[in-house]
Amino acid sequence: MTDYLEVKNLSKSFGRFRLCDISFTLPKGYIMGLIGPNGSGKTTTIKLILNMLARDSGEIRILGLDNIADEQKAKAALGVVFDTNYFSEDWQVAQVEQAISVFYPGWDSKRFAGLLQTFQIAPARKVKELSKGMQMKLMLACAFSYDAKLLILDEPTSGLDPVSRDELLQILSEYIEDGEHSVLFSTHITADLERAADYITYLSYGELFFSGSKDEFVDLFRIVKGGTEELSADLRAKAVRVRTFPTGFEALVKTEDTGAFSALSIEPATIDEILVFTSRKGEDYA
Amino acid sequence: MRNIWKAAKLDGSLVKPYARVICFTMLLPIAFAAINRSLPTGVSFAMCFIAMTTGYPFSVTEKNGMERLYGILPVRKWELVTGRYLFVLALGALALTVSLIAQPLVLRAMGETVTAADLGGAAVGGLFLFALYTVFQIPGYYKYGSIKGRVFLYIPVAGFLATLLLLPKMPAGNPLVAAIAGSPVLLVALVTALVVGMYAVSICCSIRIMQSKEL
Repeated sequence: MTDYLEVKNLSKSFGRFRLCDISFTLPKGYIMGLIGPNGSGKTTTIKLILNMLARDSGEIRILGLDNIADEQKAKAALGVVFDTNYFSEDWQVAQVEQAISVFYPGWDSKRFAGLLQTFQIAPARKVKELSKGMQMKLMLACAFSYDAKLLILDEPTSGLDPVSRDELLQILSEYIEDGEHSVLFSTHITADLERAADYITYLSYGELFFSGSKDEFVDLFRIVKGGTEELSADLRAKAVRVRTFPTGFEALVKTEDTGAFSALSIEPATIDEILVFTSRKGEDYA
Repeated sequence: MRNIWKAAKLDGSLVKPYARVICFTMLLPIAFAAINRSLPTGVSFAMCFIAMTTGYPFSVTEKNGMERLYGILPVRKWELVTGRYLFVLALGALALTVSLIAQPLVLRAMGETVTAADLGGAAVGGLFLFALYTVFQIPGYYKYGSIKGRVFLYIPVAGFLATLLLLPKMPAGNPLVAAIAGSPVLLVALVTALVVGMYAVSICCSIRIMQSKEL
């Protein structure tokens, strides 16, 4: 089995929000970034994967197991980190192990102790005394202690200082090094993707915009720049979005369409630029 | 079954920081029994108090956003719910045991007579009252959470007051009441059947609530 996560035609509606027909796969041994603006359905997708929300239609397989029919087996192989701690704040770190380890037959206490040492977390400290970064590491230490094959993180880097963010991304990179583990993490911090992700799934307001390799994603678009007088009707028609300034313009154009504008300045687009230009609010920057 | 036990243990670890409060809750009714010089009153007070602590696992869960932890554990929802009932029942059983040991000792020291029949009656009554309170409380907490559903905290108080008011009005001459009261075996069988039935319905309701709940 080469795909650790398969999501097929996943749909869910509640209230005015609709997640429509989302499909993507995460192969074994890679990191996938789940991106999109706020309210695009990243957390909903993760909760659907975890069966914390009931899907309207579609199919989800975790390590080849159906996420509902084989929920227990699938979850035993899954490590999850949310943006905030989910342990009782009154627990000591050692109590976290006591409470959680019983649920995972493969729990390795020595490994947990080793990870606490690596992450510099004292077992006697209470969860509420740990910083946000430390709490994140504690959740990771738990997931690593039962050798979770697939790690799912929901905006793990939001609210972390640059040092903690860097440490976390380093941990994730090391985690997949053996080729036996995969990571799906949602984020809106594109620098994290540039650094750690191999694949990108981009959700835009409940719809799948792109899912594939990061290089493919970045290669899809180019930024075309020029003076105000160089902004032709043809360019406007072909551009995904145009931002105009008093002195000129910037446009996101599909790479295949850039041939007609070779006289203008054409630069590779960053993930950040693609996200801003392709979101509906992209034009607000104009 | 093992997962139910694990879920009950997890609930135990949630309320561990409140162990002192729970101990105090178990011991306070001794004073009430002593003041009233009555074992049944002391035991019903104890069961009322301990039933008021059944919201602790819910409030700790809600306060810490631990629904997400419950959502990722490799355990079925019905096992988590049944585990919580097991934990609550264990708490009730402990409170009842403490009451049935400590209160007669205090009452005897005060010169009151406590017979085996008194003990048996208090045990059966205490169990029934605790079940009656918690079978309504737990589904309520599952449905509304411990904050929105804090009204369920007061079910035992209402039940306790109702017991105090209704007990003297029990028709002593009623042949059915007399038959039940006169036969300890019938009383125990009836209460056991009622408790089991009530918990079965309550657990089913809680499981349905939990299964339809989106975390």
